[in-house]
Amino acid sequence: MDAVLLTQSLISGIMMGMVYALLSVGFSLTWGVMHVIHISHAAFGLLGAYLAYSLLECFGVDPIISAAVSVPLLFLLACGVYQLLIRPITKAKEVIVASMILTFGLAIILENVMVLIWKADPRIMTPTYSSGALIVGPLYFQYPHLVGFGLSIVGITAIYLFLQKTYTGMAVRAAWQQPEAAQLYGVNLYRISMITFALAVSTAGAGGISLALLNSFEPHSHNLWLIYLFLVVIVGGVGNVVGTALAGLIIGVITGLSMALLPFQWVNLITFGLLMVFLIFRPHGLFKQGV
Amino acid sequence: MKKYHLAATAIIIAILAAFPFLEPQVYYLSFMFSVFMYVILASSWNFIGGYAGYLSFGHAAFFGIGAFATAKIAAVFDLSPVLTILATIPAGAIAALVALIIGYPCLKIQGPYFAVVTLCFAFVVDLAVKNIEFLGGAEGIWMKIMDVPEKLSRSIMYEVMLLLMVVTLAVAWWLGRSRLGAGLRAIRSDEEVAETMAIPTAKIKIQAFILSAFFPGIAGGLFAYYLTYIHADVVFNISISILIVLMAMFGGGGTWLGPIIGAVILTVVNEGLSNFAQAEIARIIYGALFIVVTIFMPNGIIDFFRKKGSG
Amino acid sequence: MKRKRMKGFSLFMTIAVLCGLLLTVPAAAIGAGKPIVIGGSLPLTGEFAETGLWIERGMRYWAEEINAKGGLLGRQVEFKIYDDQSNVGKAVTFAEKAITVDKVDLLFGGYPGTAARAVMAVAEKHKMVYVSMGGHMKSFQQGYTYSFGAPPLMGEWWYEGFFQWLNSLPANQRPTRAAVYTINNPVGLSLQDCITRWTKYLNIKIVINEKYNSPLSDATSMIVKAKQMNCDILFSNGFFPDGVTTMKAAKALGYNPKAIVQGIGSVVPAWVKELGADGNYVFSGTVLHGMLNYPGNDKLNAYVKNKYKLGIYPLYFGFGYAWMQTLQQGVTGANSLDQTKIRDWLKTHKVNTIAGPMTFDKYGLPAPINFATQIINGKVELIWPKNVQTKQPVYPKPAWTK
Repeated sequence: MDAVLLTQSLISGIMMGMVYALLSVGFSLTWGVMHVIHISHAAFGLLGAYLAYSLLECFGVDPIISAAVSVPLLFLLACGVYQLLIRPITKAKEVIVASMILTFGLAIILENVMVLIWKADPRIMTPTYSSGALIVGPLYFQYPHLVGFGLSIVGITAIYLFLQKTYTGMAVRAAWQQPEAAQLYGVNLYRISMITFALAVSTAGAGGISLALLNSFEPHSHNLWLIYLFLVVIVGGVGNVVGTALAGLIIGVITGLSMALLPFQWVNLITFGLLMVFLIFRPHGLFKQGV
Repeated sequence: MKKYHLAATAIIIAILAAFPFLEPQVYYLSFMFSVFMYVILASSWNFIGGYAGYLSFGHAAFFGIGAFATAKIAAVFDLSPVLTILATIPAGAIAALVALIIGYPCLKIQGPYFAVVTLCFAFVVDLAVKNIEFLGGAEGIWMKIMDVPEKLSRSIMYEVMLLLMVVTLAVAWWLGRSRLGAGLRAIRSDEEVAETMAIPTAKIKIQAFILSAFFPGIAGGLFAYYLTYIHADVVFNISISILIVLMAMFGGGGTWLGPIIGAVILTVVNEGLSNFAQAEIARIIYGALFIVVTIFMPNGIIDFFRKKGSG
Repeated sequence: MKRKRMKGFSLFMTIAVLCGLLLTVPAAAIGAGKPIVIGGSLPLTGEFAETGLWIERGMRYWAEEINAKGGLLGRQVEFKIYDDQSNVGKAVTFAEKAITVDKVDLLFGGYPGTAARAVMAVAEKHKMVYVSMGGHMKSFQQGYTYSFGAPPLMGEWWYEGFFQWLNSLPANQRPTRAAVYTINNPVGLSLQDCITRWTKYLNIKIVINEKYNSPLSDATSMIVKAKQMNCDILFSNGFFPDGVTTMKAAKALGYNPKAIVQGIGSVVPAWVKELGADGNYVFSGTVLHGMLNYPGNDKLNAYVKNKYKLGIYPLYFGFGYAWMQTLQQGVTGANSLDQTKIRDWLKTHKVNTIAGPMTFDKYGLPAPINFATQIINGKVELIWPKNVQTKQPVYPKPAWTK
C-alpha cells in the first residue's frame, strides 16, 4: 500500500468532498429550516455554472469573480421564485411533499431553459489554471480543486457566521427551532424563509461553479449533482451547517481511501453501502440536528 | 363498498379487459401497459409512503430486482413464455424478501432519514447489479422473444399487467379499510402516540413495506419481458423512484384513489406532450404542470376535490 | 354535497384523460402525393440529447438533399421523430407507435446502444428493417434478421485501426506497459475485447486493468497509479465526461505517457472545442470521417461548415446521414417499401455510403470498419490505414502545453 497514492487520493477526495458540501449546505438548510426539499437546488447551481461559463467565454471573467457576481444574482432570482412559487405552498398540510413536487417541475423547466439558451452540448470551465497543480514534494494539489476547496471554505464559513452572528441569521435559527415563539417575538417568518431560501440558492450557485471547475457539465447534470446533495445530507444531517462541512470531509475521506485501496469498480458501491450501514445505525447523521 | 361503486369498478375493469379484443394498434396496448405499470408502482409505494408516511425514495430498486430476477431465472432455466410470466411472481417474492431484510433496520429510521436511506439503498442495488457478472453486470440481459404474433404477445402482456393492477388496487382498497391500514395511518399522524396505543408499529410497518415491494417486483418482471432486454440503467433509475413518489402524492397520498389519478394523469400527459413539435417546450410544459397543480392543489388532487365538495 | 363532489371530480378526470388521449392520436397524413414517412424516436431531451440532436441533423440533411432531387421512389420524405427523453422504455413504445399507429413506411435508428438494443427487438417483431448503430456485438448475436448496422458503432472494432498502426511501428518504439481504465457499461466492455487480444500480440503488458462506474468524479488516483506503475500507454475507455476528467487529471498531475487512447468521448465536437490544446494527441477510432475519400463526405463537410461553423462533420451527424443512405439504397434497390424485400436486397447487395462500400452478413453487419484517429492541433485526423492518412501521427505524446 503506497503512501503517496493514499495521501494523494485523500487530498483530492477531501477537496472534492468539500465542493459537494458547498453545493449541499443550502439544500440542507432549506430542508431543515423550511421543510422544503428543494429538488431544483442543483439546477440553480448549474445555472450559476453556466453564467460563469458564459462570462468566461465572452468576457474572460475568472470563475471566482463570477461567483461573486452570480451569488447576488441568484439571490435575487431566488427571492422571486420564493414569492411566486414557494410561499403559496408553505400552507400545505405536508409542505415537504408539496415542495418536492413543485421544485421537481421547476427543475425540469430550468433544465430545458438552459438547453434552449446554451444548447445540450457539454461544457468545460477552462480558466487559466484549469489543469495545473501546486506541487509540494511528491504531492499535487490541483488548482481547480484548490479553488473549489477555497470557495467552499469561504462559502460555508460565511453561512455559519451569518447564522451565528447576525441578527437575521439568529432569527433564522429561532424560526427553525421554535417557529411560534419566534413569531411572538416579532420575527417575520415569511421574510426569514425567503432569505433562507435565497441564501441557499445563491450558495448553490457558488457550489455549481466549483463543481463545474472540476468536471464537465451539461443541462442534464443537475440530476447527477442531486445525488451528491442527498449524499451529504445523509452524513451531515438535515439542516446542520457544520454537519454539512464535516460530511464533505468524511465523504471525501471515504472516497479517497476507497479509490486508493479498492478496485475502482467497487468504489461507489462501497461508499454508498457504508453510508447506508452508517445511516441505519446513526440515522440523524453524525451530528445532532441543529443549525 | 357501495353497490354502485362496485358495479362501476367492475364495468371499468371489464372494458379494460375487453380492449385488446377490439384489435387496437399494438402501441395502445403498450401505452396502457405502461399506464397500468405506473398505477401499480404508485399504488404499492403508497402502502408505505402515503398510508404510513414513510417516503421511500428508492422504490425503483424493487422494480429492478423483480426485473432482473425474472430475466435471470428465465435465462437460466430456459423458460417458455408462460413460465416466464409466472416467474415474475417468485421474482416479486424476492423483491419482497429484500424489503423484509432491509426494512427491518431501515424502518426504525424516521422522517427524512428514511427517505435518504432508501435512496442510498437504490444506488447500492444498482451498483451491485452492475458489478456482478451473474446478474448481467453492465451488459444487461436479453430475454427470448415470444414466438407468437406481436399483437397476441402484447395483448397477453396487457391482460397480465391489468390483472396485476386489479389485484394491487384491490389490496390497496382493502388496506385502506383494514385494521392494518388504520394502524399505518395512526403511524403517519403520530408514531409515538400510535405506539402508546399498543399498535405493533414495527410489525405493521414491515408488513406494509413488504407488500409495497412485492407488486413492483412482479411489475418489474413483466416490464423486463415486455422490453426483452433489461439493463441496470433502465430500471434502477432515480427518475423512476422520484416519479413514483410524485405520482402518488400528486394524486393524493393516503387514499387508494390518489396514486391512480396521479399515475394516469402524469403518464398520459407526458405521452400526449410528446406530440409537440419542440421537445424542450414539451418538457417545460410538463414541468409547469407540476408547479401549477401544486400551487392550486397543494395536498394532491383528491384532497382538493374533497375540500371543494364539502365547502 | 357528495353528488356535487363526484360530479366535479368526474368532470375533471374526463377532461384530463380526454385531453391526453386526443394528444395521442396521430396527426392526419397530408393529402396528395403522399410523402414517405420515416419514424422512430431519438433522445431529444435528457442525458443523451446532445448526440440525439446531431443524429437528427444528419438525417434531416439527407432528407433535404434527397427531396431536392425528387424524393425517394418519386415521393418526398419526411420524418416523425418522437422524443424518448433518453428513456429506453419510451424508445420502445414510440417505436411501436411509429410502426402501428403512425404506420410509418420506414424506421430510423436511435441512440444510445441500450435503446437500440431494445428497439431492435421491436423492429424484429414487426418485421421492419432497422438501420442503426446497433448495441455492439452482443446485440447482433440475438438472431435478428431485420437489423443492420450501417455502419454500426461497434466497440469491438473501435481500436482495431489504432493497434494496426501501433503494429506498424518498430517494436522498440512501442509502449510496453498499459494502464487500462474502462467504464462499466456495454460500450466500455465492448472496447476491452480488442485491447486484450492486441496487447498480447504486441507484447504490451497490461499492468492496470480496472473498471469504473459512471459518474467518474475524480481521476486523481487512477492517474497516480498509472504514473507510479510507469505505464507508458493509457487507455481511457469511456465517454466524454469521464474522458475529460481523466485528461485534466493527467495534465495536472504531470502524467505524460507515450500515448493516450480514448473511447468515444473524443469524437464529440465539444472535446476539441472545450478541451482545446489539452485534448490533443489523443488516439481513438472511428467508422466515419469527413476526410475519407468516399463520395458525399465533402458535401457534408461544406454543409456543416456553413451551418454550424465546424471544420468537419461530427460523427453522429455522419451516422444519421449514413443510415439514411443505406435505407435509401435498400428502398431504391428493392423498388418497394416492402420491408422484407428491402431486407433481402440489403443482405444481397453492396451499399455505398459516406462510410464507404458495405456488404452485410447474416447478422446485418458489414466487414469490420476501423480507422484510427488522432486529434492534432484541434482537428480529428485520420492516421490509419496509410492510404487515408490525413496527417502524420504524433508519437510519442509531446509534453503538456501550459
